[in-house]
Amino acid sequence: MGLITLPTSIPWLSLTWLSLLAPTLLIAVIPGGQRQLMRLVGTGFAFLSLVLSVLVFLGYSPAIGGFQFVERLDWIPQLGVSYLLGVDGISLAMLVLNGVVIFTGALMSWNIENRTKEYWVLLLLLTTGVYGVFVSLDMFLFFVFYELAVLPMYLLIGIWGSTRKEYGAMKLTMFLMAGSALAIIGMLAIYFGSGLRTFDMIVLARNVTMSGDLQRIFFPPLFLGFAVLAGMFPFHTWSPTGHVAAPTAVSMLHAGVLMKLGAYGCLRAAMWLMPSGAHDWLPIFAVMTILNVVYGATIAMAQRDAKYIIGYSSVSHMGLVMMALATGTQIALMGAVLQMFAHGVMTALFFSVVGRMVYERTHTRQLPELGGLGKVMPFAAVMFILGGLSSMGMPGFAGFWAEFNIFIGVWEKYPLIAVIAAVSIPITGAYILRAVYAVFFDEVKNPEFLHLPKLTWQEYTGASILAAILIAVGLYPSVLTEVISQGVSPIAQQLNDVIVAVRP
Amino acid sequence: MFQITDVPRILPEILLLVLALLVLGSDIFERWANTDAARLERVRASAQLTAIGLGMIFLIALVQSGYVYKLPETAPTNFFTNILHNLQSGGPGQRPIIGVFATDDLTMISRLTFIGAAFLTSLLCLDYHPTSNPAEFYALIIFSTMGMCLMAGATELVLIFLGVEMTSIPLYILAGYFHGEARASEAGMKYFLFGAMSSGILLYGMSLAYGFAASAMGGNGVANDLTQLSKIAELSRQGGPLLTLSMVLIIAGAGYKVAVVPFHGWSPDVYQGAPTPVTAFISTASKAAGFILLFRLLTVAYPSLAGSAILNANLGGWTSLLAFLALLTLIVGNLAALPQTNAKRLLAYSSIAQAGFILLGLVAWAAPQAFDRSQGTAALLYYLVVYTLTNIGGFGALAAISMAVGGDDISDLNGLARRNLPLAVLFAFCILSLAGVPPLAGFFAKFYIFMVAWQTGAWWIVIIALFTTIVSLYYYLGMLKAMFITAPASEEPLVAPVGIMSALSISVLGLVILGIFPNLILGIISRVQAVAGI
Repeated sequence: MGLITLPTSIPWLSLTWLSLLAPTLLIAVIPGGQRQLMRLVGTGFAFLSLVLSVLVFLGYSPAIGGFQFVERLDWIPQLGVSYLLGVDGISLAMLVLNGVVIFTGALMSWNIENRTKEYWVLLLLLTTGVYGVFVSLDMFLFFVFYELAVLPMYLLIGIWGSTRKEYGAMKLTMFLMAGSALAIIGMLAIYFGSGLRTFDMIVLARNVTMSGDLQRIFFPPLFLGFAVLAGMFPFHTWSPTGHVAAPTAVSMLHAGVLMKLGAYGCLRAAMWLMPSGAHDWLPIFAVMTILNVVYGATIAMAQRDAKYIIGYSSVSHMGLVMMALATGTQIALMGAVLQMFAHGVMTALFFSVVGRMVYERTHTRQLPELGGLGKVMPFAAVMFILGGLSSMGMPGFAGFWAEFNIFIGVWEKYPLIAVIAAVSIPITGAYILRAVYAVFFDEVKNPEFLHLPKLTWQEYTGASILAAILIAVGLYPSVLTEVISQGVSPIAQQLNDVIVAVRP
Repeated sequence: MFQITDVPRILPEILLLVLALLVLGSDIFERWANTDAARLERVRASAQLTAIGLGMIFLIALVQSGYVYKLPETAPTNFFTNILHNLQSGGPGQRPIIGVFATDDLTMISRLTFIGAAFLTSLLCLDYHPTSNPAEFYALIIFSTMGMCLMAGATELVLIFLGVEMTSIPLYILAGYFHGEARASEAGMKYFLFGAMSSGILLYGMSLAYGFAASAMGGNGVANDLTQLSKIAELSRQGGPLLTLSMVLIIAGAGYKVAVVPFHGWSPDVYQGAPTPVTAFISTASKAAGFILLFRLLTVAYPSLAGSAILNANLGGWTSLLAFLALLTLIVGNLAALPQTNAKRLLAYSSIAQAGFILLGLVAWAAPQAFDRSQGTAALLYYLVVYTLTNIGGFGALAAISMAVGGDDISDLNGLARRNLPLAVLFAFCILSLAGVPPLAGFFAKFYIFMVAWQTGAWWIVIIALFTTIVSLYYYLGMLKAMFITAPASEEPLVAPVGIMSALSISVLGLVILGIFPNLILGIISRVQAVAGI
């Protein structure tokens, strides 16, 4: 039994994503002048979705395991497409992460004055898509939500962004769409290659009927298609540009949740449905992720723009996730999902401090121009340091448990890669400390900074929630690890079976 | 033999003819004067009559097809059920009328598509001002629609040719309607020359097919049914170079009509020069009619030459020819769209590219199983319906913009979202549907086409086609960027005519509904297969 018992007659998962589709329609009909009302409606429904996903999290019973809250409706039966929702341990962690980031992101969006209605409609549409991806178990449905999550980003960045926004928006969209075209190839290959003529991922995973050769051919398109969104080297270049260009809430959602969508797709669609393809290709991808981890961290070290630092640190951290996925053992996968959660919360915190609290007031993110903000906004400094500690993998923070598990897992299988990747740990420490010093501790370089407007309650609330979660998970990780490890075990088991089968 | 009971079966065509004559005739009773006000009055009268008439014919055709409500056999007889019964007795599923005109599901669905497209076009023209005699403008649209219906139902070469000409000649006139403008004259002339040329090629192919059938008969037997498609199929089992040549010529001739590469040269100029509502009509209904003609001709008359499009097996037959054309069309259409600066011309190239996707639906005919073939047909028709809705919406939005701004360059779209948000949002929906973004219908149409093409073994085209969709996304996003991101030249609100907004709303509503619930029409569409072979 879960911690609480939810009535099964209510379609909880549908409600979760509908709770964000409803306000888009609602906000669309609110008269243009009522900005405050739009913000209230948007944030209120975002909170509702957070509550619903926490309820689902609490209602999930780890004792039973597997997929729960399953909803199934025929959609296009002659093609084997169904409306199939369900959550397991992996989706649960992502669901809660999504709820948290969306709610705090909504709080950070209260300062949007320009074309407010369009902003909220697009933002909520995007989050609808993200929720949908995490709960859908039908590949077609999965893909529909996936694209829904990607496309609004173009306008969100293009209209409300900063630094080279049109370029960043176009680059991001083109990369992600190219990724989704690759993913479609993989999907069709599974659909026809398995001979089952269904998009139902549970059925496809239960009996993998696709031949080994086909899996070897079509694993890379499907995996890489999603890996583009996870920022895997060499397809990561959209991510720092996009993050820097995006408005704060979008950066939070993007680095916090959307990149996880990519990793989730790799895990859920590619590795789960094509285990023998995964077995053959993952070592190669594992080597590629070293570049992500180390190179990403090194580039972050060289940046002057605070948002670029976070952008490249995301590349580095997501590289760890991908490395763990490429390892494919139980403990590594568990670390990967936990890292997805920890990194999501942490990056959201970073972006809300740098993008919202600092940039909106100082109108610069260049490290040499900032400085001494710790005296002006001590709260922002504390929050940034908390996020930084988690990013560095300090014990007591969520990031620690994630990286700890990842490195243990990788060490088991590829010790050399683990050693090389570990180089990133001191580099991460260095660039985080450098950013902390340059932004918050150096002397005040610009006297105007002493008279910056005060932080608002939305900023206090949002950042506190994120920081509290980082510490809570850091102190009591098993709140997540238990369900996650249950969620990843079938995938790890399947990959292991392939290894056993290959070995004579 | 033509019987009196066959009249209800061609009722929509008869009604279209009556409506066209009515529009022409009623114009006489309007006030004729040289003032703008008087001309506007005449425009309104003709346009409203056309729109209302086409709407009613659409409803009648819909009732007749029985897709929405079929009168049960056991219904009590009274005045209304008798009318309904008589109307529905002309519904799908009987032998072709005197062997030349089939009223099967394919005809019914095509009719609904064409008449629906004409209805939406007439809504687009409600506030559009033809300069000289307005009644001609609207009557020509109706005549052309009737020609399309004949084209879709014809199972015999002569009627096919008549249908093609009946469709095309009014469109030549419409394309060059504003003959004072250089571009419009160019469009009309170019369309006419290319059209006449392609008709000639088509006719030559047909004459070869007829000659082949006649010589296969050896001069014996009754020769008056030798132009029937099924007869050609029956006599051409053993095939031969002559038959193949006739097939190639027919594909080339029809290829001009649907503007697939390398027969596409005319279309960007014509689309750009023609009045925008006419462009909407040419690019949708006329193209759809061309595809349905191609489908019926190839599948009914040349099933033995279908061949396959599987890469490493035996390439050959019309499926692999079409696969090759599809490939060219997708690549050329999408790449040529990239450098365009005129929105109308851009959409013209985009609709060339869309034709490439539609061709993939025909390629599915190479599948060995009948089930897969009927999936291919369903995908093709679904795509055609969706494409029709989308492009009418897209060109409709452009019509509204160019009426207000005075141009149709992409830079004229700048900042549309600030000047008229509803129009910008509806237009964006159409563009995104063309780009194939879920949950709009354009996504499922593309996905379905890819599925059927993949399952026939043409996965190599699917992969290339997928990459061309990414290229296409770039220019579609460019239009979105102009509308939503770029600052407008002036902040003053842009007023869109009610007629255009309603046509646009109808098509976008259709896109959303069909995208989320494709089964609403897939069930109807998938009935086509059973009868198309007769």
